[in-house]
Amino acid sequence: MTTSAESGALVAGVGMTPFVGFRDDASVRDMVAEAARAALLDAGLSSPSPVDMGVAAYESDHFNRQLSLGQVLSDTVGLTGKPVMRVEGGGATGALAIRTALTAIRSGEARSVLVFGGETNGRSVDRTTAIEILALSADFEWETPVFGTFAAPYALMITEHMRRYGTTAEQFAEIAVKNRRMALDNPLAHRGMSITVEDVRSSAPLSDPYRLFDASLLSDGAAAVLLATGDWVEQHSPTFTERPPVAILGSGSATDRPRLSDRSEEMFPHFAAKRKAAARAYREAGIDNPPDQIDLAEVYDSFSGAELQAYEDLGLCPVGHGGLAAADGRFDQGGQVVVNPSGGLMGRGSAVGATGIAQAVEVVSQIRDEVGGPRQVPGARIGMTDTHAGVGSLSVVNVFGRVG
Amino acid sequence: MRVTGTERNVGPDGRPVYLLGVEMAQRYRHAVGSSSPFYLGLEQGVLRATRCTGCGASWFPPRRFCEEDLTETDWYDLPGTGTVVAATRVHSPPPFGGIDPPYVLASIRLDGVRGGITHRVIGDETPEHGAAVTVEFIDGAPAHPLLAFAFAIEGEAP
Repeated sequence: MTTSAESGALVAGVGMTPFVGFRDDASVRDMVAEAARAALLDAGLSSPSPVDMGVAAYESDHFNRQLSLGQVLSDTVGLTGKPVMRVEGGGATGALAIRTALTAIRSGEARSVLVFGGETNGRSVDRTTAIEILALSADFEWETPVFGTFAAPYALMITEHMRRYGTTAEQFAEIAVKNRRMALDNPLAHRGMSITVEDVRSSAPLSDPYRLFDASLLSDGAAAVLLATGDWVEQHSPTFTERPPVAILGSGSATDRPRLSDRSEEMFPHFAAKRKAAARAYREAGIDNPPDQIDLAEVYDSFSGAELQAYEDLGLCPVGHGGLAAADGRFDQGGQVVVNPSGGLMGRGSAVGATGIAQAVEVVSQIRDEVGGPRQVPGARIGMTDTHAGVGSLSVVNVFGRVG
Repeated sequence: MRVTGTERNVGPDGRPVYLLGVEMAQRYRHAVGSSSPFYLGLEQGVLRATRCTGCGASWFPPRRFCEEDLTETDWYDLPGTGTVVAATRVHSPPPFGGIDPPYVLASIRLDGVRGGITHRVIGDETPEHGAAVTVEFIDGAPAHPLLAFAFAIEGEAP
């Protein structure tokens, strides 16, 4: 068995709820309880008591209407008495929580950490209120007064990408089509759709060149993963040896200027933090040729063009080639790297605190060969997750792989 | 806070579902803090930035302390001109209102300082990369102090 010192941390269990537009039958704590219970049962535990600590992931007190939710969620999942910390990193919240749990295991502070995240980003508030809350993610003093939709800064970035590299709106519309199609095969997805590039281009304009179908979904949902050392799984997780063992092979995080217009002109159409986070994660994972070594990637497709830009910044294709890559199928099912087999934020949906964790659930399930059907990436051994806050102010990349 | 009503439904597996309507409104006194001289400058029709009294590095948005050497900064006036990096037409209003959509938004690199601003461009034309713009102050009470100004396109892109 691979030791935790070699692998960082083993993934003992994963679980998630469906992502939906609105759960009228569940509060955020109910959803987190469902996901956490599923992860503990997946690890073969009959009680949460062997778990050393919890990491709670959620972005917004405004959406959840509960301060000190970390302790409430910890109590809900059965970890009362154990240490818990709440982690927040915008869109990267869930992935940052996993990274935080990893550091606790690497440091020896804990032998097992349950990471649980959830959010009620769906229709618990009306659209106007949701947009108002999300507008607070921009800089309240310098940006929020001039734009209320994140489509705007994403549109500015992709506009410069189009000018510099000849990228077209039809190329990133292909991504909007791909991810919604992939979601059709995911029973937990918020909304899979069979649409065309023409459908994307004729949907309602948000901020030129972006249209409604270039944008992702806001969902209710929760997800959880249980990370542990080799010793701990031997002692407590009877299911671990029954299936392909998965570990976190590497993790990286970096920041960028939160305000788009503060960034250098050279890097304006690129996610600098994503490049740094990926470089760190790949180095730890021993990856020097990402497109050849990575089988699948869950990429942060908040907007279709953001996935296109991420292809480049994650090193999956050369800088400036994202548009060609989006259109030639190399990141589709059956391609070189399958990107967003879950459906991504556009199809599976996004419940912010849960999103990076749900990505990990997909990657781990793929590597274990448990997904099945047309969505299963054949022979998947290495997969990664990519999320960012704002328009790339904070990036987290986690790499998972089969060990043994 | 107040309860606006309740709803009942039947969930999956026949479990009962009960929902509460809740209304909350918040009012804040938001301290603009170290950016206050910028906001006050807008009332005099000027854009201001800060410059490090030690190394001379300039900052926009203004910073009280220099990021390079931690020295306190001083305020100075900007010429109010700049260059467009990218622009977009936005189809929804900003959160404080004050602009009817669609409107043109641009990332503008400001002359005389390291840094830039994302702000509104006057008119219907979406400027190209490299277009020169100049600040214009707008008459009347803005919906938000930052909307007291916008940028006008000066020349064609090179």
